[in-house]
Amino acid sequence: MKGRVLAALIAAGWTATAFAQSGEGLENLQFHGFATQAVVASSNNNYLGMDSRSLSVAWTEAALNINDQVSDQLRVGVQFHYTRLGAFGGDQVSVDWALGDYTVKPWLGVRAGKVKIRWGLYNDTQDYDPGYLWSLLPEPIYAVDWRATDLSQLGAEVYGSVYLGRKLGEASYSAYYGSYYEASNDGVMEDFTEEGESFKSPPGGKTPGFDLRWMTPVTGFKVGGSLMAYNAKGNLINGTFQQPTAYWPTGYAEYRRGKLFASGQYAKLVEYDVSTETGSAPEIDTSDERAWFVMGGYRITDKLQAGAYYTHYVDASGNDTSDPGNYFRDWVASGRYDFNSSFYLKVEGHFIDGNGVGFYGFDNPNGLQPRTNATVAKLGFTF
Amino acid sequence: MKIPPRTFSVLVAIWVWTLGLHAQLLVVANPEIKADSISRSELRSVFTGATFNLKDGTRVKPVLLKEGATHTKFVADELGTSETALLIDWRQRVFSGQATMPKTLGSEAEMVTYVAQTQGAVGYISEATPHDGVKVLAVR
Repeated sequence: MKGRVLAALIAAGWTATAFAQSGEGLENLQFHGFATQAVVASSNNNYLGMDSRSLSVAWTEAALNINDQVSDQLRVGVQFHYTRLGAFGGDQVSVDWALGDYTVKPWLGVRAGKVKIRWGLYNDTQDYDPGYLWSLLPEPIYAVDWRATDLSQLGAEVYGSVYLGRKLGEASYSAYYGSYYEASNDGVMEDFTEEGESFKSPPGGKTPGFDLRWMTPVTGFKVGGSLMAYNAKGNLINGTFQQPTAYWPTGYAEYRRGKLFASGQYAKLVEYDVSTETGSAPEIDTSDERAWFVMGGYRITDKLQAGAYYTHYVDASGNDTSDPGNYFRDWVASGRYDFNSSFYLKVEGHFIDGNGVGFYGFDNPNGLQPRTNATVAKLGFTF
Repeated sequence: MKIPPRTFSVLVAIWVWTLGLHAQLLVVANPEIKADSISRSELRSVFTGATFNLKDGTRVKPVLLKEGATHTKFVADELGTSETALLIDWRQRVFSGQATMPKTLGSEAEMVTYVAQTQGAVGYISEATPHDGVKVLAVR
């Protein structure tokens, strides 16, 4: 929390300095925001920390950002975000990002502060709901209930793009290093609690990583790969917690041309959590999570878009992979209608087999059933 | 046959609008930009926010029209997308902390004035719009 406050103050200070020096006052200042309200209904199990079996409206999000293009090379900005997702998020407003962004050359730029992490196709854009067709991104890879932890880091990023020629296209990269803390009120901490680990404060650590993507000579087709590494330390109420460096590689491809888009992504995460209660031997919890999705969509008219995706997850860490708690498969059909440039409506159906991700014991006290059907309707506004 | 004045006005407006649909588009740039031409892939990259540089390294500032036949034709024919999708793409960049929204103007006359006066600016107009003071880039 202290890091987030510091980052926000740094961005605010930069902005104030820029005003004083630019002599242009508020002319370059931009304000943008969005708000969404969802209704979620599910069969058999409550999903994503919501009381969805009883039709839940406990999913509200909003964000506001302020940007100042101080000069051609320098931009400063900050974004605040509010999320209430069932039992998660609470009534807290968090700093999504707060940064200074300086472009040295087309192949070299630097961002510093609290910076979104470019990992895979959608990590850095996943919390901007108006930006995509889906009400829910594929849960095994872009878990909405774990999003607050994976979204950004407090540190620095270097980035750039290099034109390789007409026959080879263009390559772009991002590399970052920073620190992070598990979000205090999202699914990550609830998972720890349900595994019997209670923390004095959320654990945190360092997270380096990179992304490399190739915009191929085929118009609209790109491929890429990312690696996120992270470790964590924390204090349990009755002991210590340590997470040796985990590696989260992913590969992806996307094709966008005219009214059509299609994409796919695969990710694998191997993680070891070491919990040591005072007076006891360390306990090691291992996970070997593999997930992928394929998706496609078509813009039927300028206002109407439809699509579908399938996502697949398994925890292959020696556990019984036929246990619904160790897998998750979701078939999804979705539609989006843009009333105008500001208002839109999404409606989406999910046909879920397994409960390896997104399901919790606290709101399913009678145990989990293997299958869940869910419907999400979401009204959004953006400017 | 006598056409009522209101009907005549509507017909003229439709005729002028369709002229816009069929009119050729010009990509215009600030005269200080060295390039004389721009490829379609560069055009797409610059006006969708994927890059702020031409392939020769020149930093450019894309300028959009708010609406109208010229804007509709440019977005569909040159960028290969829809107006809604283009707006979504730009906003996605803003909300991920990567960019600010491009300058957006209400008329082609404003576009010409702004591009002529702003270093690095690149925009688009219909061929019929007077464009003194700006450079026309050939699209290849």
